[in-house]
Order: sequence, then structure tokens, then C-alpha cells
Amino acid sequence: MTLSERKYRRSFGDLSEGTLAFWLLLPAGLLLGLIALYPVGRLIYTSFFKQRLSEGPQATFIGFSNYAQAFADERFWNAFWNTAKIVVVTVPGALVVGLLLALIANLPFRIKWPVRLGLLLPWALPLIFVGLIFQWFFDSQYGIVNDVLIRLGLERQYWLIQPSLAFWAICWTIIWKTSSFVALILLAGLQVIPSELYEAAEVDGASRWQGFWRITLPLLTPAILVALIFRTITAFQTFDIPYAMTKGGPGTATETLAMYIRTESIENLNFGYGSALAVLLFLVSLAITVVYLRYVRGGDE
Amino acid sequence: MNFLRSPRLWLWIAAAIVVVNGFFPAVWILFTSLKLEGELTRLPITYWPQNPTVQNYIQAFREQPLGRYFFNSVVIGVLSTLLCVTVASLAAYALARLRVRRRGLILSLLVGVSMFPVASLMVPLYQTFTELGLRNNYLALILPHAALSLPVATLTLVSFFAGIPRDLESAAMIDGSTRVGALWRVVMPLAAPGVFTAAILAFVNSWDEFLLASTLLPAKAMRTLPVGIQLYQGEYSFPWPLISAALVVALVPVALIIALFQERVVGGLTQGGVKG
Repeated sequence: MTLSERKYRRSFGDLSEGTLAFWLLLPAGLLLGLIALYPVGRLIYTSFFKQRLSEGPQATFIGFSNYAQAFADERFWNAFWNTAKIVVVTVPGALVVGLLLALIANLPFRIKWPVRLGLLLPWALPLIFVGLIFQWFFDSQYGIVNDVLIRLGLERQYWLIQPSLAFWAICWTIIWKTSSFVALILLAGLQVIPSELYEAAEVDGASRWQGFWRITLPLLTPAILVALIFRTITAFQTFDIPYAMTKGGPGTATETLAMYIRTESIENLNFGYGSALAVLLFLVSLAITVVYLRYVRGGDE
Repeated sequence: MNFLRSPRLWLWIAAAIVVVNGFFPAVWILFTSLKLEGELTRLPITYWPQNPTVQNYIQAFREQPLGRYFFNSVVIGVLSTLLCVTVASLAAYALARLRVRRRGLILSLLVGVSMFPVASLMVPLYQTFTELGLRNNYLALILPHAALSLPVATLTLVSFFAGIPRDLESAAMIDGSTRVGALWRVVMPLAAPGVFTAAILAFVNSWDEFLLASTLLPAKAMRTLPVGIQLYQGEYSFPWPLISAALVVALVPVALIIALFQERVVGGLTQGGVKG
């Protein structure tokens, strides 16, 4: 037993290191148990019941009927595909834009704070406010997007009124909001690439373009994977931006899975069915998380 | 055309792209908030405010309990941050310094929990807090906000604690201080920047959160800024002068925080790639 261990035993009486660790970890366990684990258990449990508050508080066990209902529910599939389309467009979009922003931010500026704030501000703005601000940008009468189009001699577009345009306006907004976070992660990855590598490549006669493809991208792959997984998971949960911009409209053209869950469970107080939808969203996130923990983060433990 | 070859020029252009991209929406909403309704509904639209006025701000506070929303957001942001950072510090110290069985599993679990969709947790949390009579009580949002930022805060702090040399602690203990004394006098001051970083992330997360806030604290007197301001828009009308002024008021605190502590925020965000 080393001196410090003896000292430590004295100061904690007969508390062993394991016991101390237990007490230090307990509050975190309680908080996460109460707010994350217990709710997930209850969510899965409720999803097997028919429970509609409009028909009284009683819950009837109905097995997998809520899931069967979901798979036959056109509005569920509509919300699912809308969400999937948002993932497919905004995740690569945010990665490309984020990479460009990171490459710029990595340039040798003498004064660093304007560029750094330019990356941080989109991250810090609340999603719901970004949605409101971009709704104003895309306003068909007084929005700046249409103003620019008209100045360029193009036609006024009814951005949030036409279903396909509303989808693209939402994707644009999400990419703007999320690319700066991607850029911050990629920037951290860029900053640890040793500059000697580029110097050596230059000596060997490689162009900058070759340097980017042969040195930057391969060494940046771990950071890109981290950003990719985080963005994919959060994109599946998209709620705030379409909620602020279109409320899922016109009709249900831009309704996402998270929005449909909220409508069913909180607005219609249809807990059973709403829970089944929420379990499906949970399973998608879980699958991506497992991939992340297994293949991306697995290396550093 | 010599100046086109100048690397300085291209640096300026590159910097301008990032700065304009990041600042434009916030600046535009600031300009909007200084224009009166008449100017906002005139074509062609104006860019610079023609007759800048603070009238919208006065209206925003008068027509809606914006001050109350602000107060609610501050209370929930501060209390959930304190709870989160306290609990996270304890856990992070154990994970970084003590021999913990299944340490890897606990860390993986933390990352896993941070990925739980809030939209899924919303349904059971709504049921549970309603049954407990806690809906429209600050506690119903303080606990979830603290829990949602807990994984990020803990992971940030683990790497901070791990970076503090063990020798410093042992030296203090050899000098007769207890482990708790060493923790308080030696480790905590060194970990303070990490605690502060974790606190900033937790506060911004709480300030920005909408889905749970709108579900668990829907009463008018309990609304946070995102919930209150979102409800300014009616079915068909968009009172932009009011919304823009309220948005500027709501954005000032986060803008100040990231402006003052930008390096810390960047460091905290990029540590092992945590969630934003």
C-alpha cells in the first residue's frame, strides 16, 4: 500500500475506493435513471397499451397493435420519409459546407476572433429562433431571398407555401444551422495535422489539390465520421426548424417524425400510439448509436 | 491585376465568407427589429433601417410578458446548469481518478444516453410530471435540462480531471491534507476552467431547448423565451416587428456568452466530438 493510499483510507474511514466511486457516481446515475432510463422503460411499456386520454384514463393491453397501426398509417410513412429525406439532404450538405468553413477557418489569420465567432454564432442560436428568422428570409412578400431573386431578374417564389420549395427551404436552414458545428469539429481535426506533411508533399512536387486529397481528407476521416454520426442522429430528431417555419405544412408535406409524435401524444393525448411512434424513433437512434460506439469510438477505450 | 495575386486579399475574402455566413441572420433580425411595421411591409424591401427606432422593443415588452419569459429562462438555465455541473463533477472525478469497475461501459452508456431522442423522452416525461403534479413547475424542466447536458458535461470534465497531474494531489496529501482537502484546494482550482466550460455548454443547451419546454411548462407565466416567442405568431399573422425585437432580446445573453468565452466554448465542443 502506498503512502497516498494509506492517507486516503484514513481520510475516508473504512470507505474503499470502490465505495467512494459508487457514492460519487450515484447522483449522476439517479438523474439519468429518472430522466432517461425510467422514461424509456415507461415509453416501451405504454406502447403496448391503448391509452387515449380523451376516452378516459384507463389503459388496455393490446400487444403490438399500435405498431401494426403505425406500419399501416400513411401519415406515419409520410413523416418517416420526410425525416429520411431531411437526413439524406442535410447531413451530406452540412458536411460539405462545414468542411469548407473549417478549411477557411484553418487559414493563418492574424486576428482569429471574427472567424471563430462566425462559426460559433450559428451553433449558439436556438433552433426554434433560426427557424423563425429563416421563415422571415423566405417570406414570399417581404423576404430577402425573393428580393435577391427579383433583383437578379428571376421570379418570385412561394417558398413556404409550395410543398417541394418548403422542403428545400427547411433543408437550407438546417444546413446553415448545423454546418458550423460540423466545422468546429473538423477544425479541431485539421489543427492536429502536422504542417511538415504538407511541406514534404510540396518538396515532392505535389499540388495543393493533391495535398488536400492525399493528406487532409485521409487524416480528417475520424473527425468526419464523428460529425457524420452526430449529425445523422440529430437529423432524425429534426423538430424545431420545420415546426417554426411551416408547422409541418402545407398540410403534412414537411411533417417530421418528431412532429407527428408530438401531435399524437401531447396534442391528441393519444399516449399509447404516440409512444409506439416514439419507440420507433428511439430504435433508429439506438441503431446509429451502436454503430458509432462500436466502430468510431471503439478505438479509444 | 497584381492585387489578385496577393494572398492577403484572398485571406480577406475567405474570412468574409465565414463571417457574413455566421453573422448575417442575427444582423438581419437586428435590422428588422429597428424598423416599424410600415417599413417592413413596403416594397421593395429596405436593407438598412430608414428610421431606426426602439418602438418595437417597448411594444414587445408591453404586449407580451417578455420579461417574465426572460426570467423563466434565466432561472431554469442557471439552476439546471448548477445541478448538471455539480453532479457531473462528482461523476467525472470518480471516472478520471478512481479505479471504477466497468469504466468503459459507463462511458459508453453516457454517450449512448446523450443520443436518446428528446422527442421520445417527451411522452413519458409528460405523463410522469403530470401525474406528480409537477407540470408547469420549474422542476419539471430543470431536471431534464440538467440530465440532457450531463453526458456532455461529464465527458468534458473527465478529460480535464485526467489532465491534472496526480502528483499534485499526492503532494498535498503527504503535506497532511485529506483527500477531500486535496480535492478542494488543489484539484478543483485546476479543474475550474473545465467546470466553467461544461457550465457554458449546459447553459446554452438549456437556453435553446424548445420541445420539452413547450411540453412541460406550457402555462403562460411559466414559458421560457423559445416557447413564448414562438407563440407570438398567430394563425395567419406574423407580427414581425414584435418577434424580431423579442428575438434580439433573447439572443443577447447567448451572444454575450460566446463572445466572451469563445475559446472555452470551442474547446468544450470539440473535446472528443461531443453533441451540439
